[in-house]
Amino acid sequence: MTERDDLDMLVAEFVLGTLPAQEREYVETRRREDPEVEALILQWEERLGRLAEETEPVQPSPALFAKIEKALDRIESTARKAAETSNVVALRSQLTRWRWSTAVASAAALVLMAVLVLQPQPTPETQSFVAVFQHNDEQPAFLLTVDLKEQRLNIRPVTAEPRPGKSYQLWIKADELGPNPRSVGVLGNDFKLDEGALRSYDPALLKEATFGISVEPEGGSPTGQPTGPAIHGYLYPTDGNNQ
Amino acid sequence: MKPDSHQLPDNAIGAPNSQSPSDTPEHVAELIHRVAQKDRQAFALLYQATATKLLGTVLRILRDRGWADDVIQDSYLKIWQKAEQFQDGKSSPITWLVSIARNSAIDELRKHPAGRTTNSDELDEMPGRQSTAQEQLEDQQAANKLNHCIDQLEKDRQDMVRLAYLNGWSREDLASQFEQPVNTVKTWLHRALKQIKRCLES
Repeated sequence: MTERDDLDMLVAEFVLGTLPAQEREYVETRRREDPEVEALILQWEERLGRLAEETEPVQPSPALFAKIEKALDRIESTARKAAETSNVVALRSQLTRWRWSTAVASAAALVLMAVLVLQPQPTPETQSFVAVFQHNDEQPAFLLTVDLKEQRLNIRPVTAEPRPGKSYQLWIKADELGPNPRSVGVLGNDFKLDEGALRSYDPALLKEATFGISVEPEGGSPTGQPTGPAIHGYLYPTDGNNQ
Repeated sequence: MKPDSHQLPDNAIGAPNSQSPSDTPEHVAELIHRVAQKDRQAFALLYQATATKLLGTVLRILRDRGWADDVIQDSYLKIWQKAEQFQDGKSSPITWLVSIARNSAIDELRKHPAGRTTNSDELDEMPGRQSTAQEQLEDQQAANKLNHCIDQLEKDRQDMVRLAYLNGWSREDLASQFEQPVNTVKTWLHRALKQIKRCLES
């Protein structure tokens, strides 16, 4: 059997639902990093999706939607607060939460991240992007602002605290850079990073890239790749009305 | 967590599969696109149009109402956050939504396998559901084709595919029910899935 067949069967079983927890997590991690895996998953979901028609609908209790709306209010207000601290209050934000972990990371090590999406406009003055790195549903941990025009980055802690013997490291990942994340830099004790650290990257690449922050041994990852729990997300190309 | 065993009523399955304008695929797709724009009203409409379907799916897997409610809440928050990833050409909207809920339910179940137990009643439900569903979907070409392809499988494997997809059974659950080693179950599932894929493509 070829490697591709193996992957196809792994994905097929993921969609069918029979994979053990760890293999599910592995597939879920790969789907976020590899568009091919994502595409295979969607294909299998379409193949088997009609089976769901055999399940009869069940009316939810009226209280459930109210609960969901409340949870959503909390998420949205977190997003708004984060936007305010970055002086981009006026910009409409979108929030995406990502759950990312290695196949072996324990559930406790999972860190959630939110990405605030600022819409790009064709005009040159809005070249600024922001991402929020979030510990949980409530509190943003870091805020990353990228000024594309100047290729300048600014990272600031929101609730993140120094961890003894550990360093935070910022990563960038993009198709053009190959399959692995590349280190942007290790955050200093004051959480500062050289604001020109992204200068060597093309702005078009930065727009498409995924950023991540991982917790590493002091001084940064010994392997050149993220080794600790990480939080990931896109900086979307921004624009008020392009959707 | 050891939830009460929750059996779904079987009488709803024969109901005609009528679609009101609010839950046609086109309308649901439009709502998802509006949710991607953070439109709260569209989110409420999307919930109204789809929550019964998603809850039915999740409850059948978890068999516990409180547990299912939690997963539904989590699923709709994910839908809010992932709506911008939805692409018309790649997913049908209901399947996309159901997949988010199913994945959450199965993740939960794999993490807390003691939360429910499988039983052979679920197996007994299979053939009935299948034929009713077939009648119900007679005019739906795609479903007929999937059902047709599943019907081509050996009986045990038909049941395995349905128990896995609809009831969330793991390889281990299937292995003990069908009295086979887990690896044999895995091999059977792979063969069944390949056969379904080939059949759907033919």
